[in-house]
Amino acid sequence: MMKYLATASLLLAGMYLSTGPTLAADPGITDTEIVIGDVEPLTGPPALLGVAASIGHKIAIAEANNAGGINGRKIKYVLEDDGYVTARTIQGVKKVIDVDKAFAMLGISGSGQSIAVMPLLEKSGIPTVIDVAPVKFLWEPPRKNVFVVGQSYEEGIIHLVNYLAEKNPGKKWGLITQDDDYGITVRDGFDTVVKARKLNVVYSGNYKKGQQDFSSDMLQLKESGAEVFLAGGIIGENIAMMKELEKLNIKPVVGIFWPGRVEPVLKLMGPAGDGIYAVDYVEPFAGPAGKAFLEKAKGLLPEAEIKGINRYSMTGYAAAKVLISAIERCGKQPTWACTISELEKTRNVETGIMAPISFGPGVRFSNQKLQIMQSEFSTLSFKPVN
Amino acid sequence: MQYFMQLVISGVAIGAIYGLIAMGFAVIYKSTGLVNFAQGEMTMITAYIAWTISTTVSGNVFVVTFGAILAAIVLGLVIERIVMRPMLGEPVFATVMVTIGLAVILRSSINFIWDAYPHGLDVGFGRSIVRIGSIGVRTGQIAVIVTLLALLAAIWAFFRYSKIGVAMRAVAADDRTALLMGISATRVHALAWAASSVIAGIGGVFFALSYDLSPAMFQLGLKAFPATILGGLDAVLGSGLGGLLIGITENLAGGYVGSGMKEVAGFAMIIVVLMIRPFGIFGERDIERV
Repeated sequence: MMKYLATASLLLAGMYLSTGPTLAADPGITDTEIVIGDVEPLTGPPALLGVAASIGHKIAIAEANNAGGINGRKIKYVLEDDGYVTARTIQGVKKVIDVDKAFAMLGISGSGQSIAVMPLLEKSGIPTVIDVAPVKFLWEPPRKNVFVVGQSYEEGIIHLVNYLAEKNPGKKWGLITQDDDYGITVRDGFDTVVKARKLNVVYSGNYKKGQQDFSSDMLQLKESGAEVFLAGGIIGENIAMMKELEKLNIKPVVGIFWPGRVEPVLKLMGPAGDGIYAVDYVEPFAGPAGKAFLEKAKGLLPEAEIKGINRYSMTGYAAAKVLISAIERCGKQPTWACTISELEKTRNVETGIMAPISFGPGVRFSNQKLQIMQSEFSTLSFKPVN
Repeated sequence: MQYFMQLVISGVAIGAIYGLIAMGFAVIYKSTGLVNFAQGEMTMITAYIAWTISTTVSGNVFVVTFGAILAAIVLGLVIERIVMRPMLGEPVFATVMVTIGLAVILRSSINFIWDAYPHGLDVGFGRSIVRIGSIGVRTGQIAVIVTLLALLAAIWAFFRYSKIGVAMRAVAADDRTALLMGISATRVHALAWAASSVIAGIGGVFFALSYDLSPAMFQLGLKAFPATILGGLDAVLGSGLGGLLIGITENLAGGYVGSGMKEVAGFAMIIVVLMIRPFGIFGERDIERV
């Protein structure tokens, strides 16, 4: 009996040693395919960012697949819609991990949604690169398997307000923010500079998410005599504010944040949108890098998807490039552990659309370089300014 | 004074849009006893169709208006025939839940049929600014106020003098007796859905003219619903006026109390009014609350 057991044990040990890496392989990987999952808002107003981010992921994936895939394995992209509803984000991430057996994840939806799925991501251990809504909670404290490409909302606002304060010394300031976590972050960044530079804030408003008419808010801004205005809306809100300012016949210096730095917005603002300052860490589409990105996308995606490209496509593309490159460096038998280790070793990865991306031991945030841009109504574009 | 006047004018302009959508709620309630929770979404769909006509067929204001009205009629009739008529005789709760389901489907359809980007409805009218002293108002805002007033008068005359209007009132009062009198309740219901879709759709088109089209537009329904509760769920004209009251109150609260109060003011107002008149300012006493 003992003899049989010993023989069986030896056989099993032999089988394990000979096929070890295959048996130990993580989910989402076969000899021909590797699955990358994503959960984004594809319906409702935030689809503007979710669809665009997923297009960015698709561009990077198509580019890799056209070049033969990751070491011969084609990438399969599994995309779930959460409608910007946190409960659905959690459900979507669970589905992508447990049912679709994703090997790695990109995305994920908005800031609140990413925060909500963090325990799930940590528990599963799946390599994840977040690119849509970078907020500090996502990298502080650093989680082993979660990496964030971008810049924090707070730093972005600090950079923008500092720039505007330097260009407009001694002016009166106005601010309006949304009544949610996004608005709080914008306000925190603004307040940091207000304290440091002792800015004279004469108007401070707070609007309810979903508000569409800003007539009384902008009238209050006018009455306050504000000369520099930080419009803390996202898309439709900023358009409505600019149109109200035009109606009220005033033109303060206006700053907007990157979630609203979407070119079609300028057309809708009309001449009122000319000269608006914005901050971002991706290149404007009017520049050579932006044009090259669009050209690349045209060769890889159908026309209908090209129309959905905006700045979030660039952040999505960059994150997907970093992830694909890390998996690729793991060679023929990539594992979660190797991918995480290679992501950590990411140094100065060039994407062509933002500053080079780096992570490091205990560093899970790429901390992208920021730049100020200004809108030009005649060309419906944003251009970098000094 | 100028500050007050600017607040009131802007309030009347947005209130007229709420009023039109609120009238849409009331027309359906008056004729069918049902609260249509997809009203905001129907408004949005009509506005998107108007935009599609303006960008693909013609940007002529008359072509867009005719096309949008026609589309709104078809939308109302299709919803009534396919979704609501099979629910006749079912518990009110189930029917209301169907309208909620319909709202979700229509809301999601925006991204499937169109996209998530905001769009401007350009018919060569409505965006220019008229200045009276230092008060500025867009021509689209003037037009929506005039349209609301004209529709209030037309609907009053319709219910008061036309055969169909009297038939609709009869069905609302007692559909079985109306049936015995030879009035087809299903036809009246279909007409109510079509009329509601057109009236609310006009509100949506004016909103798109003065502001923009976006998938968030369905939220207008959430603002118009308090207006119809305030005016009276069964009072079509009262709902229109309720919209104006909500618009003015919101703007005055936003202008004098603070931005945060803007969204709260309308609801605070309906709480107070409903405590005094539970059936709304112009509503009738025995309405069934859903």
